[in-house]
Amino acid sequence: MLRRTMLAAAGAVSMLGTAAGHDHGADKGPNDSEIAHIAYTAGQIDIRYAHLALAISDNPEVRDFAATMVRDHTAVNDAALKLLQKLNVTPTDNATSQTIAEQAAAKRAELKQLTGAAFDKAYATNELAYHRFVNKTIEETFIPAADNDEFRALLGVALKTFKTHQGHAEHLVETIQ
Amino acid sequence: MMRAARMARRFAAPSLILFVTACGLQPSAAEVHYVEMRGLEFTPAVLNVRVGDTVVWRNTDVMPHTATSDDGSWDSGSLEAGDEWSLSIDEAGAVDYACAFHPTMTGVINAE
Repeated sequence: MLRRTMLAAAGAVSMLGTAAGHDHGADKGPNDSEIAHIAYTAGQIDIRYAHLALAISDNPEVRDFAATMVRDHTAVNDAALKLLQKLNVTPTDNATSQTIAEQAAAKRAELKQLTGAAFDKAYATNELAYHRFVNKTIEETFIPAADNDEFRALLGVALKTFKTHQGHAEHLVETIQ
Repeated sequence: MMRAARMARRFAAPSLILFVTACGLQPSAAEVHYVEMRGLEFTPAVLNVRVGDTVVWRNTDVMPHTATSDDGSWDSGSLEAGDEWSLSIDEAGAVDYACAFHPTMTGVINAE
């Protein structure tokens, strides 16, 4: 199920060069306002996963990880909104944002059915897969496509942060197995 | 074990120097060292200081961090983006520390 979800999400992002990026030129991928919306949505998705973990899990490591996800993704999203306001860029909703939001809702519904160690394992595994997917997208699609230097720099900060999260998630998965 | 006293958050280190000077103490040997929290790293990660010096951590990242000693002797608490926290070093020794939120973010204070 997870693999199918991630593949579908990857497929959604691959549409960026055509659907979401049509105003920016098919060769350049999504424009900054579309990237901003997708990245913000992706951050909100992980915050919602984390709140679910904080509501369900009793595992201290899982709870610490989830608290960090809330803290960091909130901070990065707040910084992004502040920068976009300064740049006078309005995030533009698009098919990719909608697709990843729908897929995340399905994943949350799946996770809600679990408790105890089964939840912890599923949450940690999903976090690792999700961060791998998001990091690959930021690195290979968003940063090369971003026009504004400050926005590209913020994406770089976000990528470094999320790669640390990915490493943390890898450790969490190993610990819980 | 190095023991250190927590100073006030958002503490302006230069003000300490002025205050100490005004009080007629011995500020000449003491230095203020800055550690930047940026990109999920402490820079410099290894800091060599002398007893009596002050270390100031500045969070220039977008997310909160802490400077938390491994031995439990000091803890900045959560430092939001733009916050500073100062520590006066009053005993020699080496203390490893990390960000409580990001375990891969580590540093060392060596005091002599």
